[in-house]
Amino acid sequence: MSPLTAARGAAGLAAVDDIEYGARFLGTLSLHEGRDPALLRHWAAVAAEFGAALAGDARAAHAGAANAGADSVQGDPVRGDSVRVVESTGGLERGLLARYTSRPPTIELYTDSVDAAERLVRAHGWREWFPAGSVRAAALAHEAVHERLHHGSERAVLKQALGHTALRLGRLRVLAHVAGAEELAAHAYAQSVCGLGRSPLLLSAALAASAAPAREK
Amino acid sequence: MGIVILIIMAAGVAAMLTKKLPTAFALVLLGVVIAFVAGAPLTGENSVFDTVLQEGAPMLAATMIAILLGSWLGKLLDETGIAGTLVRKIVEFGGDRPTVVALGVLAVSTLIGTVTGSAPAAMLAGIIGIPAMIAVGIPKVTAAGTILMGIAAGMPFELPIWQFFSSALELPVPEVRGFMIKLFPFALFAAVMFVLVESRRRGVEHAWAFRTETPRTKAGKRRARLGDAPWYALLTPVVPLVLALGFDIAIIPSLLAGVVYALVTTTRPRDMNRRLLRTLYGGFEVAAAPITLFVAIGILLAAVKLPGAVDALAPLVKAVSPQNPVLFVVVFTVLVPLCLYRGPLNVYGLGAGIAGVLIAAGIYPAVAVLGITASYNQVFGVADPTSTQTVWSAQYAGVGPQQVMARTLPYVWFVALGGFCVTAATAL
Repeated sequence: MSPLTAARGAAGLAAVDDIEYGARFLGTLSLHEGRDPALLRHWAAVAAEFGAALAGDARAAHAGAANAGADSVQGDPVRGDSVRVVESTGGLERGLLARYTSRPPTIELYTDSVDAAERLVRAHGWREWFPAGSVRAAALAHEAVHERLHHGSERAVLKQALGHTALRLGRLRVLAHVAGAEELAAHAYAQSVCGLGRSPLLLSAALAASAAPAREK
Repeated sequence: MGIVILIIMAAGVAAMLTKKLPTAFALVLLGVVIAFVAGAPLTGENSVFDTVLQEGAPMLAATMIAILLGSWLGKLLDETGIAGTLVRKIVEFGGDRPTVVALGVLAVSTLIGTVTGSAPAAMLAGIIGIPAMIAVGIPKVTAAGTILMGIAAGMPFELPIWQFFSSALELPVPEVRGFMIKLFPFALFAAVMFVLVESRRRGVEHAWAFRTETPRTKAGKRRARLGDAPWYALLTPVVPLVLALGFDIAIIPSLLAGVVYALVTTTRPRDMNRRLLRTLYGGFEVAAAPITLFVAIGILLAAVKLPGAVDALAPLVKAVSPQNPVLFVVVFTVLVPLCLYRGPLNVYGLGAGIAGVLIAAGIYPAVAVLGITASYNQVFGVADPTSTQTVWSAQYAGVGPQQVMARTLPYVWFVALGGFCVTAATAL
């Protein structure tokens, strides 16, 4: 690929806004097949807002604990609590950057994907948005949110914010789970706690674009 | 002579295992060779041409029609968005609790499993069900296994399967139904336990994936334009079942009623003809592979039922077939792995021929052979890494078929054990 083509590719990827990337992600889920793109954009925006707010809460709690002089400061907003982190390779092949499993609570970081993302950030001139080492931090923060949502009660708040109705019987209204919204919240959380200029979804798009020609072979 | 036939059968299994020959071709070849070895003449009574090929090929015709109708109904469930709506509603209601979503998808898969089988059934439930489960945190192997266990739980009530066993084993449909009703609780229990135990053992899994695109098919785009199916259309999968099970209506009219119900509840009158034809032709495509297999199985069954083949095989098979009920259960349970990898006990392969020998030689009553074959079918339908539904589900979930086999085999082995116990207690 010539430098000019690469630059155009990078500019094209960066030209799409973060909410649109979120809507596109939701649109790839077969569960949302046929949904109005405007609704998907709305959900993407709400989920991003929720994730950012979650990051604010986590930072405040962490700062509070640190100021109180606790011996061991709990609730690291990037890494979460008591989660084991293991590193492995094979992420590029599987299309994964990181993975959280609840039994036992573990975050698996795919170092080959993280390195590839860092290389792309450098090649595309996105260092201002994604400082060196931020991909790893974002991956850890992203998975930490899944751990937090898995154990915590914040899911209900996200559901409330999304406001999608599963069933309405007179005055009774049952709110629906929106598949994929937690994933977008996790990206927004990672963006916020790691101080990234753009959503990690841009990295996903760049990695997918760089992997596409290899898949076509 | 019996030994020669067994060696020929072993060679046939080897050809299927090594993929030197497609299963259907291997079975036809086996049928013809066995007939010649058993001393059948070319033409006339009990001959290769007239009996094995001419009468054998359409022996399972009723099954073929039932398979076609099941595939047609499956296509309608897909095109009208009925299957997709069922899964979508389950995720919307239970998405906060992954186990609830998995149990819901399991229930939908069970319903679909009563209508149609094989890869089309897995696709109907899995195209939306697998990504939906993965999206709420169900690990990929568990997601693929849930679809397969669900379809297998519905299999005892899959009307084309009733027709197959009825035609192949020459049993009246009510007898087949009677055994299947007894087998169903084991299949359902194992399926529910699979979801509960595996969810507990493996927990949830979330990944930052950078490749998430799902291929959009023509049917998918059409569904997308139509939106959700109305709630009363979601009852479609139970219509044939209620008619066949509750009202004793024959299999083909029951399936046709399902087709009509799906159509009238989802389609405007002016679009009905076009949709009916399009989905029927689509059903032919889906049913082509199983129908080919049933032609071949008919030929093999006709060959092993030739008097020469029965005389040659009966003493050998009798010598190794346990008559004691306890031994019966133990031996057939131990032999479960032989129905995997297109092995000799695969019901849709040489297993059908062995079943034919067991009945023709009078070694077991037909209903006991039904118990053996239906129990092995429960294993094959889920855990065989060469069966199309297992391969499709595993690959769609992004895991290997062997991983799915390893995870599901203990559960379906239990189902087979249950089936053998019921058979030993009621049919021996």
